[in-house]
Amino acid sequence: MSRAFTVAVAGQPNCGKSTLFNTLTGARQFVANYPGVTVEKRIGLFAHKGDRITLVDLPGTYSLTSYSLEERVARDFLLDESPDLVLNIVDASNLERNLYLTFQLVEMEFPLIVALNMMDIANGRGIDIDPSRLSDELQVPVIPTIGNRGKGKRELREAIWAMCVDKENHGSWVRVDYGEALESVIAPLEVKLSRQAHLASHFPARWLAVKLLEDDPEVRKLVTGAVAERDYRLSHSEQGKDSIDAGE
Amino acid sequence: MTLDELRVGQEARIVDITLSGAIGQRLLDMGFVEGTCVKIVRNAPLIDPIDLLVRGYHVSIRHAEAKGVEVEPL
Repeated sequence: MSRAFTVAVAGQPNCGKSTLFNTLTGARQFVANYPGVTVEKRIGLFAHKGDRITLVDLPGTYSLTSYSLEERVARDFLLDESPDLVLNIVDASNLERNLYLTFQLVEMEFPLIVALNMMDIANGRGIDIDPSRLSDELQVPVIPTIGNRGKGKRELREAIWAMCVDKENHGSWVRVDYGEALESVIAPLEVKLSRQAHLASHFPARWLAVKLLEDDPEVRKLVTGAVAERDYRLSHSEQGKDSIDAGE
Repeated sequence: MTLDELRVGQEARIVDITLSGAIGQRLLDMGFVEGTCVKIVRNAPLIDPIDLLVRGYHVSIRHAEAKGVEVEPL
Protein backbone atom coordinates (compact mmCIF):
# COMPACT_ATOMS: atom_id res chain seq x y z
CA MET A 1 0.00 0.00 0.00
CA SER A 2 1.17 3.47 -0.78
CA ARG A 3 2.18 5.56 2.23
CA ALA A 4 2.31 9.34 2.50
CA PHE A 5 5.06 11.31 4.23
CA THR A 6 5.71 14.99 4.82
CA VAL A 7 9.17 16.49 4.67
CA ALA A 8 9.95 20.09 5.66
CA VAL A 9 12.74 21.73 3.68
CA ALA A 10 14.74 24.20 5.77
CA GLY A 11 17.76 26.30 4.92
CA GLN A 12 19.35 29.71 5.22
CA PRO A 13 18.71 32.36 2.54
CA ASN A 14 20.68 31.73 -0.68
CA CYS A 15 21.63 28.17 0.18
CA GLY A 16 20.07 26.95 -3.07
CA LYS A 17 16.95 25.69 -1.34
CA SER A 18 14.51 26.55 -4.11
CA THR A 19 16.76 25.13 -6.84
CA LEU A 20 17.13 21.85 -5.00
CA PHE A 21 13.42 21.84 -4.18
CA ASN A 22 12.64 22.16 -7.91
CA THR A 23 15.15 19.47 -8.77
CA LEU A 24 13.57 17.05 -6.30
CA THR A 25 9.94 17.67 -7.12
CA GLY A 26 9.98 18.76 -10.75
CA ALA A 27 6.75 20.31 -11.97
CA ARG A 28 4.49 18.78 -9.35
CA GLN A 29 4.20 21.88 -7.19
CA PHE A 30 1.49 23.95 -5.58
CA VAL A 31 1.75 27.44 -4.14
CA ALA A 32 -0.30 28.79 -1.25
CA ASN A 33 0.19 31.03 1.74
CA TYR A 34 0.78 30.06 5.33
CA PRO A 35 -2.54 30.71 7.07
CA GLY A 36 -2.97 34.31 8.13
CA VAL A 37 0.34 35.61 6.85
CA THR A 38 1.60 36.62 3.43
CA VAL A 39 4.49 34.23 3.45
CA GLU A 40 4.49 31.98 0.42
CA LYS A 41 4.13 28.26 1.02
CA ARG A 42 5.39 25.98 -1.72
CA ILE A 43 4.48 22.35 -1.70
CA GLY A 44 5.97 19.76 -4.03
CA LEU A 45 5.55 16.05 -4.49
CA PHE A 46 7.55 13.10 -5.63
CA ALA A 47 6.94 9.38 -5.58
CA HIS A 48 9.57 6.90 -4.52
CA LYS A 49 9.19 3.12 -4.44
CA GLY A 50 5.42 3.53 -4.49
CA ASP A 51 5.23 6.01 -1.58
CA ARG A 52 4.15 9.62 -1.83
CA ILE A 53 6.52 12.18 -0.37
CA THR A 54 5.31 15.76 0.07
CA LEU A 55 7.96 18.45 0.44
CA VAL A 56 7.07 21.73 2.14
CA ASP A 57 9.45 24.59 1.40
CA LEU A 58 9.96 26.66 4.57
CA PRO A 59 10.99 30.33 4.28
CA GLY A 60 14.77 30.81 4.20
CA THR A 61 15.93 31.75 7.70
CA TYR A 62 19.29 32.18 9.41
CA SER A 63 17.86 30.86 12.62
CA LEU A 64 14.62 29.75 14.29
CA THR A 65 13.99 32.42 16.89
CA SER A 66 10.63 34.16 17.05
CA TYR A 67 11.87 37.61 16.06
CA SER A 68 10.95 37.70 12.37
CA LEU A 69 7.78 36.58 10.65
CA GLU A 70 9.62 34.10 8.40
CA GLU A 71 11.33 32.48 11.35
CA ARG A 72 8.07 32.19 13.28
CA VAL A 73 6.32 30.69 10.26
CA ALA A 74 9.11 28.16 9.76
CA ARG A 75 9.24 27.26 13.43
CA ASP A 76 5.48 27.02 13.87
CA PHE A 77 5.22 24.70 10.89
CA LEU A 78 7.90 22.43 12.35
CA LEU A 79 6.32 22.40 15.82
CA ASP A 80 2.64 22.21 14.85
CA GLU A 81 2.75 19.94 11.81
CA SER A 82 5.60 17.72 13.07
CA PRO A 83 6.82 16.55 9.65
CA ASP A 84 8.24 13.05 9.29
CA LEU A 85 11.65 14.56 8.74
CA VAL A 86 13.44 17.80 8.04
CA LEU A 87 15.68 18.20 5.03
CA ASN A 88 18.24 20.86 5.89
CA ILE A 89 19.93 22.36 2.86
CA VAL A 90 23.34 23.76 3.64
CA ASP A 91 25.58 25.96 1.48
CA ALA A 92 28.86 24.04 1.43
CA SER A 93 30.75 27.19 0.43
CA ASN A 94 29.54 28.83 3.63
CA LEU A 95 29.41 25.92 6.00
CA GLU A 96 30.13 27.59 9.33
CA ARG A 97 27.26 30.06 9.19
CA ASN A 98 24.85 27.48 7.73
CA LEU A 99 25.53 24.94 10.47
CA TYR A 100 24.03 27.33 12.99
CA LEU A 101 20.56 26.53 11.67
CA THR A 102 21.49 22.84 11.48
CA PHE A 103 22.23 22.78 15.20
CA GLN A 104 18.92 24.45 15.96
CA LEU A 105 17.17 21.65 14.07
CA VAL A 106 19.27 19.06 15.93
CA GLU A 107 18.22 20.68 19.21
CA MET A 108 14.58 20.42 18.18
CA GLU A 109 15.26 16.68 17.86
CA PHE A 110 13.86 16.21 14.38
CA PRO A 111 14.85 13.30 12.19
CA LEU A 112 17.24 15.20 9.94
CA ILE A 113 19.02 14.89 6.61
CA VAL A 114 21.63 17.42 5.57
CA ALA A 115 22.04 18.20 1.86
CA LEU A 116 25.50 19.65 1.40
CA ASN A 117 24.63 21.86 -1.55
CA MET A 118 26.79 23.88 -3.96
CA MET A 119 29.66 21.46 -3.57
CA ASP A 120 31.08 22.68 -6.89
CA ILE A 121 31.33 26.26 -5.64
CA ALA A 122 32.94 25.12 -2.41
CA ASN A 123 35.50 23.09 -4.36
CA GLY A 124 36.11 26.02 -6.68
CA ARG A 125 36.99 28.12 -3.65
CA GLY A 126 39.44 25.50 -2.48
CA ILE A 127 37.15 24.29 0.31
CA ASP A 128 37.40 20.56 0.82
CA ILE A 129 34.58 18.98 2.86
CA ASP A 130 34.43 15.34 3.87
CA PRO A 131 30.67 14.50 3.92
CA SER A 132 31.09 11.20 5.77
CA ARG A 133 33.12 12.87 8.52
CA LEU A 134 30.47 15.60 8.83
CA SER A 135 27.82 12.88 8.96
CA ASP A 136 29.69 11.13 11.80
CA GLU A 137 29.99 14.36 13.77
CA LEU A 138 26.34 15.39 13.32
CA GLN A 139 24.99 11.83 13.50
CA VAL A 140 22.69 12.46 10.55
CA PRO A 141 22.99 11.49 6.86
CA VAL A 142 24.90 14.09 4.81
CA ILE A 143 24.35 14.01 1.04
CA PRO A 144 26.54 16.14 -1.25
CA THR A 145 24.49 17.87 -3.96
CA ILE A 146 24.78 20.37 -6.78
CA GLY A 147 21.23 21.67 -7.12
CA ASN A 148 21.42 23.35 -10.52
CA ARG A 149 22.95 20.27 -12.18
CA GLY A 150 20.76 17.72 -10.46
CA LYS A 151 23.75 16.02 -8.85
CA GLY A 152 22.87 14.07 -5.74
CA LYS A 153 19.17 14.06 -6.58
CA ARG A 154 18.81 10.30 -6.69
CA GLU A 155 20.82 9.76 -3.49
CA LEU A 156 18.81 12.45 -1.71
CA ARG A 157 15.46 10.98 -2.71
CA GLU A 158 16.59 7.57 -1.56
CA ALA A 159 17.86 8.94 1.78
CA ILE A 160 14.62 10.86 2.37
CA TRP A 161 12.51 7.82 1.64
CA ALA A 162 14.67 5.51 3.75
CA MET A 163 14.38 7.80 6.77
CA CYS A 164 10.64 8.30 6.32
CA VAL A 165 9.92 4.57 6.36
CA ASP A 166 12.29 3.95 9.29
CA LYS A 167 10.06 4.52 12.32
CA GLU A 168 13.00 3.95 14.66
CA ASN A 169 14.60 7.15 13.49
CA HIS A 170 14.80 9.78 16.18
CA GLY A 171 17.29 12.25 14.73
CA SER A 172 20.70 13.05 16.10
CA TRP A 173 21.78 12.32 19.68
CA VAL A 174 24.26 15.19 19.47
CA ARG A 175 23.69 17.76 22.21
CA VAL A 176 25.36 21.15 22.20
CA ASP A 177 27.41 21.63 25.36
CA TYR A 178 26.82 25.18 26.57
CA GLY A 179 29.49 24.96 29.25
CA GLU A 180 29.30 24.59 33.02
CA ALA A 181 27.72 27.97 33.76
CA LEU A 182 24.73 27.42 31.46
CA GLU A 183 24.40 23.65 31.80
CA SER A 184 23.94 23.98 35.57
CA VAL A 185 20.82 26.06 34.83
CA ILE A 186 19.60 24.12 31.79
CA ALA A 187 19.66 20.70 33.50
CA PRO A 188 17.24 21.43 36.40
CA LEU A 189 14.96 23.43 34.09
CA GLU A 190 14.90 20.50 31.67
CA VAL A 191 13.88 18.12 34.46
CA LYS A 192 11.03 20.38 35.56
CA LEU A 193 9.81 20.86 31.99
CA SER A 194 9.90 17.14 31.23
CA ARG A 195 7.44 16.62 34.13
CA GLN A 196 4.86 18.76 32.32
CA ALA A 197 3.31 15.86 30.46
CA HIS A 198 1.51 17.63 27.64
CA LEU A 199 4.43 19.99 27.00
CA ALA A 200 6.99 17.22 27.02
CA SER A 201 4.97 15.07 24.64
CA HIS A 202 5.11 17.80 21.99
CA PHE A 203 8.44 19.53 22.49
CA PRO A 204 11.91 18.40 23.55
CA ALA A 205 12.38 19.53 27.17
CA ARG A 206 15.98 20.56 26.63
CA TRP A 207 15.05 22.73 23.66
CA LEU A 208 12.32 24.42 25.75
CA ALA A 209 14.82 25.02 28.55
CA VAL A 210 17.35 26.64 26.19
CA LYS A 211 14.65 28.82 24.60
CA LEU A 212 13.38 29.93 28.01
CA LEU A 213 16.90 31.04 28.90
CA GLU A 214 17.00 33.01 25.65
CA ASP A 215 13.78 34.61 26.88
CA ASP A 216 12.00 33.61 23.68
CA PRO A 217 8.54 35.22 23.98
CA GLU A 218 6.69 32.45 22.08
CA VAL A 219 8.17 29.66 24.16
CA ARG A 220 7.50 31.59 27.36
CA LYS A 221 3.86 31.87 26.32
CA LEU A 222 3.77 28.15 25.49
CA VAL A 223 5.16 27.13 28.87
CA THR A 224 3.13 29.53 31.01
CA GLY A 225 0.01 28.58 29.01
CA ALA A 226 0.59 24.88 29.59
CA VAL A 227 1.19 25.36 33.31
CA ALA A 228 -1.95 27.51 33.69
CA GLU A 229 -4.04 24.91 31.87
CA ARG A 230 -2.76 22.12 34.06
CA ASP A 231 -3.52 24.12 37.24
CA TYR A 232 -7.01 24.77 35.92
CA ARG A 233 -7.62 21.10 35.23
CA LEU A 234 -6.22 20.11 38.62
CA SER A 235 -8.46 22.54 40.46
CA HIS A 236 -11.49 21.21 38.58
CA SER A 237 -10.71 17.53 38.91
CA GLU A 238 -12.63 15.57 41.52
CA GLN A 239 -11.44 15.72 45.12
CA GLY A 240 -9.90 12.76 46.89
CA LYS A 241 -7.60 11.75 44.04
CA ASP A 242 -3.98 11.32 44.90
CA SER A 243 -2.32 14.63 44.28
CA ILE A 244 -0.32 14.81 41.09
CA ASP A 245 3.17 16.23 41.24
CA ALA A 246 2.44 19.93 41.08
CA GLY A 247 5.88 20.89 39.82
CA GLU A 248 6.88 24.43 40.63
CA MET B 1 35.60 51.64 19.35
CA THR B 2 32.65 50.65 17.19
CA LEU B 3 32.52 48.97 13.78
CA ASP B 4 31.27 52.08 11.96
CA GLU B 5 34.46 53.99 12.88
CA LEU B 6 36.77 51.64 10.97
CA ARG B 7 38.22 52.58 7.57
CA VAL B 8 38.09 50.51 4.38
CA GLY B 9 40.59 47.66 4.49
CA GLN B 10 40.84 47.64 8.27
CA GLU B 11 40.30 44.44 10.24
CA ALA B 12 39.00 44.13 13.75
CA ARG B 13 37.85 41.63 16.34
CA ILE B 14 34.35 41.83 17.79
CA VAL B 15 34.34 42.53 21.52
CA ASP B 16 30.64 43.00 22.19
CA ILE B 17 27.25 43.39 20.52
CA THR B 18 25.33 46.19 22.19
CA LEU B 19 22.33 45.98 19.84
CA SER B 20 19.28 44.25 21.21
CA GLY B 21 16.01 43.02 19.74
CA ALA B 22 15.56 41.65 16.24
CA ILE B 23 18.63 43.32 14.70
CA GLY B 24 20.92 42.18 17.51
CA GLN B 25 19.56 38.66 17.24
CA ARG B 26 19.99 38.66 13.46
CA LEU B 27 23.64 39.68 13.75
CA LEU B 28 24.24 36.93 16.30
CA ASP B 29 22.51 34.42 14.00
CA MET B 30 24.80 35.46 11.17
CA GLY B 31 27.88 34.81 13.27
CA PHE B 32 28.66 38.23 14.75
CA VAL B 33 29.80 36.97 18.12
CA GLU B 34 32.57 37.95 20.50
CA GLY B 35 35.98 37.05 19.12
CA THR B 36 34.93 36.98 15.45
CA CYS B 37 37.12 38.90 12.98
CA VAL B 38 35.57 41.34 10.52
CA LYS B 39 37.09 43.24 7.63
CA ILE B 40 35.69 46.42 6.07
CA VAL B 41 35.59 45.71 2.33
CA ARG B 42 34.07 48.96 1.05
CA ASN B 43 31.54 51.67 1.66
CA ALA B 44 28.60 52.40 -0.62
CA PRO B 45 28.86 55.68 -2.59
CA LEU B 46 26.11 57.25 -0.52
CA ILE B 47 27.62 56.13 2.80
CA ASP B 48 25.21 53.28 3.65
CA PRO B 49 25.59 50.35 3.63
CA ILE B 50 29.02 49.01 4.58
CA ASP B 51 30.27 45.82 2.96
CA LEU B 52 31.90 43.51 5.52
CA LEU B 53 33.73 40.23 5.29
CA VAL B 54 32.84 37.91 8.18
CA ARG B 55 33.64 34.19 8.45
CA GLY B 56 34.38 34.02 4.73
CA TYR B 57 31.23 35.70 3.43
CA HIS B 58 30.06 39.23 2.66
CA VAL B 59 27.42 41.08 4.64
CA SER B 60 26.08 44.58 4.15
CA ILE B 61 24.90 46.48 7.18
CA ARG B 62 24.02 50.11 7.94
CA HIS B 63 26.26 52.45 9.89
CA ALA B 64 23.52 52.71 12.50
CA GLU B 65 23.77 48.95 13.06
CA ALA B 66 27.57 48.92 12.88
CA LYS B 67 27.51 51.39 15.76
CA GLY B 68 26.11 48.63 17.95
CA VAL B 69 29.13 46.40 17.39
CA GLU B 70 32.09 47.05 19.71
CA VAL B 71 35.41 46.08 18.14
CA GLU B 72 39.14 46.25 18.74
CA PRO B 73 41.18 46.95 15.59
CA LEU B 74 43.80 44.36 14.66
